[in-house]
Amino acid sequence: MSLLSNTAILLDKELRTEFRSRELLTTTAVFILIVLVLFSFAINPGTEEARQFAPGLLWLAILFASSLMFQSCFLREQTNDTLSSLRLAVSDPFAIFLAKLIANTLFLLLTELMMLPFFAIFYNIPLWSKLPVLILVLFVGSLGISIAGTAISAISAQARMRELLLPLLLLPLLTPVLVVSSLVTASLLDREPIVQWKGIGFLAVFDLIFLTALWLFGEYLLEE
Amino acid sequence: MGKRIVLGAVAILLVIAAAYASFYVAPEERTMGVLQRIFYFHVASAWAGMDAFLLCFIANLLYVWKRDQKYDWLGVSSAEVGLVLTTVVLITGPIWAKPAWGIYWTWDARLTSTFVLWLLYVSYLLLRTLIEEPERRALLSALFGIFAFIDVPLVFFSIRWWRTQHPAPVIMGGPGSGLDPTMNKVFLFSVLAMHVLAAFLIVERYMLEKMRSEVDTLRREAEAQ
Amino acid sequence: MKNLNSVFEAYLIGWGVFFLFYVSIAKRTSDLRAEVERLKNALPRGK
Repeated sequence: MSLLSNTAILLDKELRTEFRSRELLTTTAVFILIVLVLFSFAINPGTEEARQFAPGLLWLAILFASSLMFQSCFLREQTNDTLSSLRLAVSDPFAIFLAKLIANTLFLLLTELMMLPFFAIFYNIPLWSKLPVLILVLFVGSLGISIAGTAISAISAQARMRELLLPLLLLPLLTPVLVVSSLVTASLLDREPIVQWKGIGFLAVFDLIFLTALWLFGEYLLEE
Repeated sequence: MGKRIVLGAVAILLVIAAAYASFYVAPEERTMGVLQRIFYFHVASAWAGMDAFLLCFIANLLYVWKRDQKYDWLGVSSAEVGLVLTTVVLITGPIWAKPAWGIYWTWDARLTSTFVLWLLYVSYLLLRTLIEEPERRALLSALFGIFAFIDVPLVFFSIRWWRTQHPAPVIMGGPGSGLDPTMNKVFLFSVLAMHVLAAFLIVERYMLEKMRSEVDTLRREAEAQ
Repeated sequence: MKNLNSVFEAYLIGWGVFFLFYVSIAKRTSDLRAEVERLKNALPRGK
């Protein structure tokens, strides 16, 4: 049970640090907004085809935003030199990852929800009636992004050129999430909406596999 | 040294023999004609490449477990050779696709996941160049290699189930999917030849990495004095 | 014998890539050898 209580304490710390300044949330939200606007300049969003690939653009924006958002995840600990004391404080280092990835999922989901109205307006896609399932898709997708992203940001924080390295390592790894979540979202927002449970299940499997890998190998990522 | 030369010679002979067999022994395929003969080279490279990445994954796991430098050397060697083999797959694929389907690139599951695989291992090698300290480099790249390899089946099935609009080309169905027995034998021989070539290249690359690590130690000593 | 060119192209480029990779290994090895020589010469002088 110490894992859960440790995680809860660390998560509380993560959330309090972020909500004190809200730096991460605002910058990521603005970034997604900018990308969505730029995409709408690059394509013609009023057309019928735009409905087809707008969800893909949304997920691409989320992916890029996440690779910026996760930069500070372990870097903050490193610049303040708190990582080693953190490791001593918890009995299971997995708690550190768990707290960080829950916080990251939460931040990502919050920014996505803030940006959804803009997405609906810019690309002319009504999504109010499908909101519950859409939130579920956003959740399983963002969870996968956060699990892989937390692991990779622990790696990139210890290398040179880390700002460039993180997206380079993370984005190819997230190909399955991008492929599946774009398609599930697209068929959900179609004129004849279909809920692709198989796709949502696949995303859940992705989350589970990477969570297991992180649980097995996480402690080595933080070795001094 | 002698053994390595023998291995190299055997690899070259086998690759030449495989090319001969795919031109003169294998029968002409009915619909694709002579073009189908790329298959023996293309798919054999793909299989050998996949096995090189599998070896890299095993080496990564062993490094995390045993912390022996040897596994780090094996990891980087097999990753690089796997990358070379998949590069060949990605070059020969379009050369085949252009006359056969009229386009260089189809976003078919196999080709696309090979490309993602290629990107993942490029990142793996890039990561290695960006960490100075040898032990940290070995550990972190091994961990990334593990995550990358776990990702491979997920990439493949996500693309196969959600992205491929057309059924996979019949000819790429692998052995057993309507391949004539002689074709099958030639194909398996090509796979063997490509594996021996891969083994030779991995051994050569491994010796280079070993030497590099020794020189590194030497350099550190020289700088310490 | 249509498309024979493509088949030759595929084999030749494929072999070319393998060959270039082998050359790059050999090049890197010989560079390292030179480095070893340099270090050997530098070591006694440093003492």
